[in-house]
Amino acid sequence: MMSETKGIMRISWGPQHPMSGQFRFILETDGENVYEIIPDFGFTHRGIEKILEYRTFVQGIVPFERLAMVDAANVGLAYVRAIEDAANIEVPKRAQYIRTILCEISRINSHLYAIGLAAEAAGGYPAIFLWTTADRELFLDLAEMLTGARWSYSFFIPGGVRADIPEGFKEKALKVLSYFEKRLIAYRDSWLENEIWLTRSKGIGKLSTEDAIKLGAAGPSLRGSGVELDMRKEDKYEAYGEIDFRMAVQKEGDCQARFMVRFLEMIESTRIIKQALENMPPGPFKKPVPPKLPKGEGFARVETARGEMDVHVILDGSDKPYRVKVCAPSFRNLYVISKLPKLTKILVADVPVVVWSFDPWYLDADR
Amino acid sequence: MTWSEEDIIKAVTENFKELVTESKVLKPKRISITVKPDGLVSVATFLRDSLGFDHPLGAGAIDYPAENKMQMVYYLWSVSKRTIVMLKADTPRDNPKLPTLSGVWDQMNLHEREAWEMFGIVFEGHPKLERLLLPEDWEEGVYPLRKDYKLPER
Repeated sequence: MMSETKGIMRISWGPQHPMSGQFRFILETDGENVYEIIPDFGFTHRGIEKILEYRTFVQGIVPFERLAMVDAANVGLAYVRAIEDAANIEVPKRAQYIRTILCEISRINSHLYAIGLAAEAAGGYPAIFLWTTADRELFLDLAEMLTGARWSYSFFIPGGVRADIPEGFKEKALKVLSYFEKRLIAYRDSWLENEIWLTRSKGIGKLSTEDAIKLGAAGPSLRGSGVELDMRKEDKYEAYGEIDFRMAVQKEGDCQARFMVRFLEMIESTRIIKQALENMPPGPFKKPVPPKLPKGEGFARVETARGEMDVHVILDGSDKPYRVKVCAPSFRNLYVISKLPKLTKILVADVPVVVWSFDPWYLDADR
Repeated sequence: MTWSEEDIIKAVTENFKELVTESKVLKPKRISITVKPDGLVSVATFLRDSLGFDHPLGAGAIDYPAENKMQMVYYLWSVSKRTIVMLKADTPRDNPKLPTLSGVWDQMNLHEREAWEMFGIVFEGHPKLERLLLPEDWEEGVYPLRKDYKLPER
């Protein structure tokens, strides 16, 4: 098909920020049709895996969170859990519940940001971006009350968390959540069921169940194509095994389905936070961990807002990791995006919506 | 039939007796299988087609200068077995060379490009062994994730 047409035009989309992020896609187009989406990795490569080899375990948490600042809690948890797995460190029950709460706050933050960006990409929706930014503020405040930081928490350490739940946190959190539940209905009515959004997203960028598995999609992109895989259910880490929540799965596999998954996950996140606050066990919130850990190998899979992040650490008996390998969800999702034009028809105007429906975070893809 | 970790290891070792050098259950739902470089493609194809490990998670290398080897690790998952397999292969450090698995799981294409530029492992038969993350003006033959590469400011 391509050889017959003469007028293949290459468009650089990015790396300045025309709705692309700090990333460049090379689009091969003929008129309105996109034949190739070639991702150009590396604009935000900082060598985090090497940097970690120079940092002690606790110091390393700070650069590690820079993989995806918008979802700092979940990403940081992946590193901390890998270290704990290597050294067989059990975490106190109370710390597990506090971790669960912060992880879900972080997930809501991230999903709200994704929804706001996609609404902008779909055109004519700056209002939704302003809404999500305003609502995100409440959760940033909650995180600040708990950890002292609004973005990069560095709150999880091997053996527990840095601080206990502060006084008045539960009341404030419940107030925010009951407000947010009303807002979710507003999002559904004015955005998810809005005709403009549906025209731009329904049936666009379809990814079948088999392709999602075979290509290795992660997170909402995988569940949006009907695959039941959520690390919170699969590994039941932290307090997720004791909390009642549903896995959000959609069958359609289009842009709308991927956002429906994020929307349903935000509903579940509010339920998880409420239950964790209600059933919070008493006891210590951390336990001492020696600075030097024994030789070993650890692996952790954590469901971040963008999907499963796998961290493989090798310890050599010193106070620093020997090697850290991160299998980042955005790296895999960007690869899936590059294969999409072969599987479904994509127009130039669809590209921003399709890309943001995968919610790639280029910093964790480039590491 | 539900497959336990031992069943998967047994299926692989029975079919590839000479090629598997080490196999063990690391934790529940987590297996490590080390194969000889010659057996990498055939074991990988067996894992994908006969055991259903169709969901690639990633791949990366580890440098062991003391033992004069580099290890490539492929992380795989299966929808039906719900188990992680770390497929490992060692290669000598002075001439690191492995067959490519990009023909088995297409996604490994990118991961192998990364391992090539970061560690210098050459993947034979790789369709496009080019720089992925490093800048274009990065010095040839300098592999930043190797253990003997020191960050300039340290």
